[in-house]
Amino acid sequence: MSATATDRGTGRIGQAARKRDGALLLTGGARYIDDVRPPGTLYAAVVRSTVANARIRRVHAGEAEALPGTVLVLTGERARDLAAPTPYFIDPLVRGARRVDIRCLEPDRVVFVGQPVAAVVADTREGAQRAARLVRVDYDVLPHVLDAERALEPDAPRVYAEWPDNVVLSKSYGTGDPDGALESADVVVEGTFRSGRTTTAPIEPRGFLAHWDEHAQTLTMHGSCQNPHQLRWMLSATLGIPENRIRVVTEKVGGSFGLKMQGQPEETLVALLSMLAGAPVKWIEDRRESFLAGSRQQVHRFTVGARSDGRIVALVDRIVADAGAMTAQAGWAMPNMSATTLPSGYRVPDCRIDLSIVATNKPPLSAARGFGKDSAHLVMERAVDLVARRLGLDPAVVRERNFIRSDEFPYRTSTGLNIDSGDFHGLLDKATTSLGYRRWRERQREARASGEHIGLGLALELTPESSDSPGSFVSGFDTTTVRMSVTGSVTVLTGVTSPGGGNDTGIAQIVATELGVPLEWVRVVQGDTDRCPNGFGNFSGRSMVVGGGSAALAARDVRRTLALVGARMLGVPDAEVRDGAVVDPAGAGAVPVPEVALAVLTRSFDVASGVEPILESTRAYKPGNIDHRPDAHGRIQPYPTYSSCVHAAAVRVDAETGRVEIADYAMAHDCGTMINPALVEGQAWGAVVMGLGAALSEQLVFGEDGATLSDRFKSYLMPRAADVPEIRMEHQVTPSPYTMHGNKGAGEAGVGGAQAAIANAVEDALSPFGVVVDRVPLTPPAVLELIRRAAQEVAP
Amino acid sequence: MTGEDTPRYTAPADLDGVVAALEGADEGTVLVGGGTMVVPAMTHGHVVPSALVDLGRAGLTGIREEDGATVVGAMTDYASLLAADTDRGPGHPLRLLARAAAGITGGPQIRNRGTLGGSASYANPASDVPGCLVALGARLRLASARGVREVPAQEFFLGAFRTARRPDEVLAELVLPHGDALAWGYVKFKLAESSWPVVTSAAAVLAGGGLRVALGAAADRPVALDVPAPHRGTADPAWRALVADGAARALADRGAAFVDDVLADAHYRAAVTPVIVARAVEGALRGADRQERGRA
Repeated sequence: MSATATDRGTGRIGQAARKRDGALLLTGGARYIDDVRPPGTLYAAVVRSTVANARIRRVHAGEAEALPGTVLVLTGERARDLAAPTPYFIDPLVRGARRVDIRCLEPDRVVFVGQPVAAVVADTREGAQRAARLVRVDYDVLPHVLDAERALEPDAPRVYAEWPDNVVLSKSYGTGDPDGALESADVVVEGTFRSGRTTTAPIEPRGFLAHWDEHAQTLTMHGSCQNPHQLRWMLSATLGIPENRIRVVTEKVGGSFGLKMQGQPEETLVALLSMLAGAPVKWIEDRRESFLAGSRQQVHRFTVGARSDGRIVALVDRIVADAGAMTAQAGWAMPNMSATTLPSGYRVPDCRIDLSIVATNKPPLSAARGFGKDSAHLVMERAVDLVARRLGLDPAVVRERNFIRSDEFPYRTSTGLNIDSGDFHGLLDKATTSLGYRRWRERQREARASGEHIGLGLALELTPESSDSPGSFVSGFDTTTVRMSVTGSVTVLTGVTSPGGGNDTGIAQIVATELGVPLEWVRVVQGDTDRCPNGFGNFSGRSMVVGGGSAALAARDVRRTLALVGARMLGVPDAEVRDGAVVDPAGAGAVPVPEVALAVLTRSFDVASGVEPILESTRAYKPGNIDHRPDAHGRIQPYPTYSSCVHAAAVRVDAETGRVEIADYAMAHDCGTMINPALVEGQAWGAVVMGLGAALSEQLVFGEDGATLSDRFKSYLMPRAADVPEIRMEHQVTPSPYTMHGNKGAGEAGVGGAQAAIANAVEDALSPFGVVVDRVPLTPPAVLELIRRAAQEVAP
Repeated sequence: MTGEDTPRYTAPADLDGVVAALEGADEGTVLVGGGTMVVPAMTHGHVVPSALVDLGRAGLTGIREEDGATVVGAMTDYASLLAADTDRGPGHPLRLLARAAAGITGGPQIRNRGTLGGSASYANPASDVPGCLVALGARLRLASARGVREVPAQEFFLGAFRTARRPDEVLAELVLPHGDALAWGYVKFKLAESSWPVVTSAAAVLAGGGLRVALGAAADRPVALDVPAPHRGTADPAWRALVADGAARALADRGAAFVDDVLADAHYRAAVTPVIVARAVEGALRGADRQERGRA
């Protein structure tokens, strides 16, 4: 495949067509949720809990209600009578987990600092916020627990009094005989790894504008969200409005990364406030509110056994995942994927992964790019490096010896994933060559002589994509309508939505290619439940796999009709649609597609007689490889495709301050066929940088009272341009046999591998000190602490 | 905002007008310089002023020489400090301020809006300017209806976001004496590009061979350190220990302590302080050395 990120071409599949809305975005013309301002709009502010665990005694709304400009104050008590609990995006009961009712406002108790307890509607945003500050809440404060391991202790405070303990889900994964394999291993290495609590921090926070029309009895909800159809269903369930009276519209979205998956309390809340106020009500999340959403925090205690040649024979991992409080959003379920993504792309048939998802009095998890898969790579890649170090082997060599070989696919892992395809040896070769791995090893030797600490880190990242979770709205298929008008213009209505990454451009490329018309003829409409077919939005790298696949099927239907009628017009037996014309393959003539479209729709009793006069098709696409029938071990297979990549990082560590500088970085990436290489690279860069942030600087920090302290971008440190070197990006294309175009999901790969590669590189740099890296983020204070601890262990 | 909450706003055309506007002012009166801190704070409702005095039209800009000192108008922005740093010797006070200005993040918008006087008056411990002014031995010229007074930088910064400026005073000018500095070194240490500085140090090599060192961001106010010349190099553990002691003493003398915050705890700040001071001193020594060789 010769696709490159600079070959813009004519916008066919595989070419790097420019993002269709690029000019609009760059010139500030794009319309986001806060730009939607119907006349008479009122503004909402949320009153949030200031304590981490308490019974609510009383909510005092009087002062807030008396403030000029206040329209209404809604308490949890009243909201309970008006709205049902929020249905879960992934129901815990289906997964064998515990559940609690999640309400838009908590009437009786709070379990984290920041939980919504009341809401105010006023004539301005500032007025609503001022009134919200005047709402006082009396609490009976209870003891709280902020640490997941502490929460597992028998005497720990209980997050939910009605539960016997704080465990949300306890489950084991894996097959084989890991204990026996460990016993017969030549070396056994144990390790601990802790990942910090991070957040997604899109540039645009969440926001909704609800408008209840009392006369029409309809609810229109504009939102910055990922899943308009699920949101419509959820609003119907909580507010008792028939789904066909609810319209959800997604404007341009300024990044989602999982945060804007449906299920958060404010969704029902804003709609309810509009019904009560009888006016459009808008709520735009404050950045401090956005920082409440957590992700990734886990503790792993793992044991890995290997033969003396570096072949890994067994992996045992015990995961404690800190869910924070429960959420109806998908976030609570992420740690499941940390367990099932182990042992990644390595041939380790004997595995046992024991997972405990634990509730604490921290704000809930929100879904976050990587969806837990990233944490698996941290552990697996640390395990591989620990084996290499114990055996005195180069980490690259140990990886080569353990990768699943490209002739072994499809390969079923110990945890049940059926990896469709890949070439991990090829990726390692590309990444190390791109970085100049050997040259960096030489530099590392030279630098050590002069007291400088350079380290190299490698990581494989296997990213299961386009998931389907049985009985949930995590759906492995989607639906698209392709419609051609009498003038040949094409409207694509699809159930997948774009968080801003540009899948609309990719879908347009697929439709243009499959239909045989220029890209400019195609317009893609997303995120409107009244216009688009039933669909599931964006998550899990699904948009090009199932949005693209269903668009291709629908486009082919329209193309067939064009070819049939076009051939009649040409007087030939068969015709093709190419570059906007129906052409005789023998070269006898061509007729422009608009003329054919006009004929189909205006001469249906003449040249188009016997042809159903419709240039429109709605199709759903289900990729292969998903199988929810449990096998003999009870394993299901929820993913059609598995993207893969290998990361190679070179770092310099300042051993006096602990600061890590990323000196060089390469990523070899394989998402099968690339529909648009420029969009793939944009996603991959973003995912790598998100991983680098989690590896080095991003961390939600909580006070002892449970309040989020890192609630600004000066204290929650996202990488800036100067923190990140230019990433060397290499592509490998191993098409998936299970998807329409051989493409695999893209967009998540990078988050986990970047964290793992940096962790490995920092340990490599500090090996003269005997440092073992057991955590991310590796902030300067954390690195200095690791050096200090290693020195203590060497010289007690 | 609704009418009754709107603060009184004035934008005087000169210093006299500012002084008049501030007459009788209380804590509710907010002076706006470049506005890079106070405008976002008002947007978020963290600062709710009763009156705003905008210095944007009052002049108060420009750099001039006066009796062995450089006098910088309080409204001089970072971009102007950078532009002024030409053809000056490595020991000139503006060289240090230009070094600090070059490390201001936030891009051209912040460098063109943020001002030297604004940063000094805001007195964010985690910022460049307070530590640099202490290192420079700067005097801050405060004007009010009662007259003009000068306050040494050491006495101006009282704590986090607290200065000796009274509500009816405006910081008009900063006087930077031309001392015996041969060259400046400056190091701002941050956890990542986006973080507030965790420790800053400005250091000068003096004509007599001594050092003048200031420490910023480490505590709630900047302090000057007593640091001997490193005869065995700045990596010498014994010299580093003296620096650490000097820092601890300087903080104690001012009733200050290493900051414990969301970015780093006090132990970390204490641990990296001698490292950052050593690097600032190293930079100053290199600068002095280059000058020496230039002369030879």
